[in-house]
Amino acid sequence: MSQAPGTPKVHRFFLALLCLGGIHYTAPWPGPQAVLNTFLVLGLAPGFDSPLAGIAWAAAGGWVIEGSLRLYPHLGGTAFGNMLACLLAFSLLLRWPPHALKPYWGRQAVLVIVHTLLVQFSISFAAGAHTWGTGWLWSLVLIPAWATLALRLHPPLHRK
Amino acid sequence: MRQRGWGWSPIGRRRWTMAALLLGHLFWMGLGRGGSNRWQHLLNLLAAPPMAASSRWERWRAYRWQRVGNLNQAQADILALRAQVAALQTTREAEAPRVAEAGEAIRLLGLKRLLPLDFRAARVIANIRKAPFGGMILDQGEDVGLTPDQGVICPEGVVGRLWDVGMAQSSLLPLDAYNASTGVMLARSRATGVLQGLGPGKAAIRYIGNQEVVQVGEPVFTSGLDRVFPRGLLVGYVSAVQPHDVELHVEVVLAAPLDRLGLVLILPAHPQLEIQPPAGPAEPAAPGKQGGK
Repeated sequence: MSQAPGTPKVHRFFLALLCLGGIHYTAPWPGPQAVLNTFLVLGLAPGFDSPLAGIAWAAAGGWVIEGSLRLYPHLGGTAFGNMLACLLAFSLLLRWPPHALKPYWGRQAVLVIVHTLLVQFSISFAAGAHTWGTGWLWSLVLIPAWATLALRLHPPLHRK
Repeated sequence: MRQRGWGWSPIGRRRWTMAALLLGHLFWMGLGRGGSNRWQHLLNLLAAPPMAASSRWERWRAYRWQRVGNLNQAQADILALRAQVAALQTTREAEAPRVAEAGEAIRLLGLKRLLPLDFRAARVIANIRKAPFGGMILDQGEDVGLTPDQGVICPEGVVGRLWDVGMAQSSLLPLDAYNASTGVMLARSRATGVLQGLGPGKAAIRYIGNQEVVQVGEPVFTSGLDRVFPRGLLVGYVSAVQPHDVELHVEVVLAAPLDRLGLVLILPAHPQLEIQPPAGPAEPAAPGKQGGK
């Protein structure tokens, strides 16, 4: 079955845009907001052809979530953590392309933990002590949903 | 084979861009760490040049504004001063006759103190001296006891005599009138004669014998023989001397400024021949004479 080469890229672009809007509008609910951010950073951004585009989307997600929360005295920590996590996910996709769903869930679970640590460390570096919240737990619990969507609707690079 | 390089290739540019993005974020995050004094100091350092330029610009604007303000103030002051000068000039022109008359009155007052006579001051209200048989009109008349042939003088010298006296005005016959005659004497030779008018500002002395020595510039005083003026009032100065038959023709320039007289003094009728000047202030007694004999 053949597919137009530009179609997945456009879908990914609009889905990432939808995620940005969702992050902004789900600010009153930090749990679903964190899930959308994780999906954007670990599920959609590593799938772009260029890592530059991926980290740009990841940084945009970080700035939008911090701008909507308005919790920290100095912004930028989430964006930086998002970029590092996106680069890590991108390199993992290149080196070890996933072949099955459940191993991919496990890898995403590990990436969620790493992403959470990176983001919290970056926020601590940028803005000082802060509360962690339960967003990371929401992302872990809902891995079967967003990771499956990321793997099936928008196959990573190795499936093209 | 995948390109791995940081050179000027699409992949290299992408990598540099990613590195710049990451480092830019890292730098931005570092700005939020620690106390704000360090970054405030850095920002102040970076802002110093534009602040200096802005300060200079503001100072220049303030200086220019002050100069413009000063110029406007100066122009307003100039306009106000011009208005004041115009008003003062108008006032001065309006006051000029009174000021001149006041000055003349002061000089008359000084003359009045010098001569122990009962003077009466009068104002010249018309000067028609240059008209045929003209003279001057004074604002005093019979109502204050004036009579014809009273002498009239001014601080510079003798003016003339009263010719006709009306109820409230008098006509004055000046010395330079053709029909005016006044007894005079020369200052050096003491020779007496009769002064007759020759026209505006000039007169001639008659009946001076040609044996007399008369010098140009010699003062001429009243002789008092006409019983109109007392002896010793200044009449004028000799301007020319020419022998004429058995007498000298002595021309005199009158001392009184007949063209610009405003106030005059009228002598009493038939004054004394000699007038004594008032005594000066008493000299303090010598300290050695206080004991007396």
